[in-house]
Amino acid sequence: MIEIHPDQSFIGLLSENLEHPDKLATWDGFKLAYQAAQFKTVPEFDGLLALEHLPHVDFMEHQIEAAETAVHQMNGRAILADEVGLGKTLEAGLILKEYMIRGRAKKILILTPASLVNQWIQELNEKFYIQAASPRKKQASWKEWDVTVTSIDMAKRENHREVILDIDYDLIIIDEAHKLKNHQTKNYQFVQSLKKTYCLLLTATPIQNKLSDLFNLVSILKPGYLGNLTDFKKKYKENAADKDNIQHIHSLVGHLMIRNRRKDTGLDSSKRKVVNERLSFSDEEMEMYKKLEQLKANHPSFTWLTLAKELCSSREACYMSLNQLKKNAPEEKADVYDEYIEAIGQVPHHVKAKRMTELIEKTGEKFIVFTEYRATQFYLQWYLQQNGITSVPFSGKFNKSKRDWMKQLFKNKAQVMIATEAGGEGINLQFCHHMINYDLPWNPMRLEQRIGRIHRFGQEHDVKIFNFAIKDTIEDHIMKMLYEKIEMFKNAVGDLDHILEQIPGGSFEHQIQSIIKQSESQGEVDIKLNNLVSYVEHTVNERRESS
Amino acid sequence: MNAPNPYKTFVKQFFLSHGCSIVNDAPSHFTVQLTNEMDEEIMNRPFYWHYMKKMNREGVPMKLTFSDTDQKQAGGIYLHAGTPKLHRLYNTAISKARTARLYEVVHQTTGQNRAMSPWLVVNGLLHFRGKYTRDEPVSIGINLIHGTMMLGMMDKIINMNFETTVSDYTFPMRPVISLSHAYKRMERHIETYVGSLDHQWAKDSLHHLEKETHLLESFYESEDIGLDSFTKEREQLDNRYKPYIEMEVINGGLFYISQETSKTWMQNEGAGTVRE
Repeated sequence: MIEIHPDQSFIGLLSENLEHPDKLATWDGFKLAYQAAQFKTVPEFDGLLALEHLPHVDFMEHQIEAAETAVHQMNGRAILADEVGLGKTLEAGLILKEYMIRGRAKKILILTPASLVNQWIQELNEKFYIQAASPRKKQASWKEWDVTVTSIDMAKRENHREVILDIDYDLIIIDEAHKLKNHQTKNYQFVQSLKKTYCLLLTATPIQNKLSDLFNLVSILKPGYLGNLTDFKKKYKENAADKDNIQHIHSLVGHLMIRNRRKDTGLDSSKRKVVNERLSFSDEEMEMYKKLEQLKANHPSFTWLTLAKELCSSREACYMSLNQLKKNAPEEKADVYDEYIEAIGQVPHHVKAKRMTELIEKTGEKFIVFTEYRATQFYLQWYLQQNGITSVPFSGKFNKSKRDWMKQLFKNKAQVMIATEAGGEGINLQFCHHMINYDLPWNPMRLEQRIGRIHRFGQEHDVKIFNFAIKDTIEDHIMKMLYEKIEMFKNAVGDLDHILEQIPGGSFEHQIQSIIKQSESQGEVDIKLNNLVSYVEHTVNERRESS
Repeated sequence: MNAPNPYKTFVKQFFLSHGCSIVNDAPSHFTVQLTNEMDEEIMNRPFYWHYMKKMNREGVPMKLTFSDTDQKQAGGIYLHAGTPKLHRLYNTAISKARTARLYEVVHQTTGQNRAMSPWLVVNGLLHFRGKYTRDEPVSIGINLIHGTMMLGMMDKIINMNFETTVSDYTFPMRPVISLSHAYKRMERHIETYVGSLDHQWAKDSLHHLEKETHLLESFYESEDIGLDSFTKEREQLDNRYKPYIEMEVINGGLFYISQETSKTWMQNEGAGTVRE
């Protein structure tokens, strides 16, 4: 026999109200309440009711499936591990909404990096009609708020910790959950001791280094599910070569984890075409470039590299640095730079600028042009204007309203946007499908982020990307050393960005910087860069075999 | 326009029945002038009203425009299943009409005074909870004179007219059966009804609960987890899977209905009634 929980308060309320006619309803009111309850009824066990409640959001097929699986098959405890950019937040929101509609979730805690708190609150409000609160310095009503968004750091503070651990949460969502891979950290232990009925872990990289990362995530959802850590490690180590064993773990985890890949979702229907354009310096420019090499003799190689790279971008960028060098130099040495500053003034317009204008004029399409240097940004704006092409500037440093405004101008008025850095929470420009990387950053993944601005959901055209590099210069070198090699195995593994973040002794970008700073000669730079690339290649291959 | 928007009628009736007026009524949208009370109730601006009252000033209630299409240019609140304002109205509607005492409107001009039978009418939702969730509306009426029970009660009376005062030449009869007694019978009926259903959902839930519990116990036995997390997890498994049904009363009241009316129900649908 199934337990029935009766409504014990009603009949008392009725008897009491019959004594107070002013508390009684009219017939119209009575009928309206009845109808309201019919509308609120959860009509069936299956499906996602939330979809009907959110007609203004265009969910993708894989997001709907993920939410259904998480609710109906995984029963509300799941790792949502889609690749970057496939909308894990939307999936989590959909699941949250579904549980709220079905009356299963009222008290909800969302833990996310501090920088994403406001974004979550905004999305929940706009896309899901869910009002969420977030604690400020003095104000934190953990008990009263139904839906709370905050960072783990905030939640585990001394004055909050005990209150939170005391609350029975219906649903806890943890964004960027891969940060919890280490079970010895305070954050992990805090999360582990939260009281929760349902739980969603969001991460694009469920396994960062080792299978034990995954073990720790699973242990938050289902303690014991993969055995205990020592046994797990032993088993995995001993039998690392044993495919069956690994497959066993994977099939176990498959009951808890949803992972959509870009290539399975039809998102790649718009393709990207990358064209590497090698341009030649004019004689004057080449002369200047050679002249800079004289600086190598009595400056750290880093100085020369910077200047050379800048010259490959624009005279202006190089000029700014030279000027800075002069300013910083002791007075008696400052004159050294005059000769270079003088020379750079003589260099004609940049070969890249000409090529860029050609491309833009030829196609007549909207272009986004990325450069690393502010000076180049100014120069290009001016140059385009001289050629009768409209453009707007963009920088990740602009405040939100300025960013939105520039985006709007680009969408409706200007043909070109010249941007300095994509920035983490940059902008989405699906209406544009041509990009020029005017100069190349050291880290190939930065390029990936730039491309992500236009090659994402809602891009209907094939995306064309032009990478500019100048022949026989440091830039050409970067292109050959890093870009072409990494491009080769990039497609094999989607998580390359995370491999590049996880290199022992600092991220890829960090590594490159220290190689350049510490090397004595170009030859040494080359050897070290080569080693680095081989290491990445090795990690990728290893990963490919184990997955 | 395809199917008519089902929420539109509800919203209009809601506001009209609470003394608000519809100031503009076009095919795809309409505008409501709120009263002060309704503005305070649903517009989330307590500070405004607090201030106005403090200053002894007349507040200006807002107008709301609703639309049954998603067109941005038309403006207004788009009415669909998830519209937040709509859910606000649902809750207001329910909280304002939990209980009632209503008399059937009878047009009797001459002759004998007519007797009106008291009925307890209760509308509720059965919440099926477990691995799955679903609700089922119930509406039951019990005649408080002779104990006849009527299912689907609201469907039977929804098109009738009721007033808060008794019609001329009619008189309400004194209940023989007490309210709480009648209500107990309703609960018993629900138990029987629930017992008669196919509970595959509950079996599934229990099965799942057992499986997970078993798994958890084996983890504990093999010392993969400690007692603390075992106890906590065990509790949470119950939360997630243990099947139960929660009876929630939406609203209910004492209804006085003429015997002529109730007689037609019994003749038409003998099957719908349950006699003791």
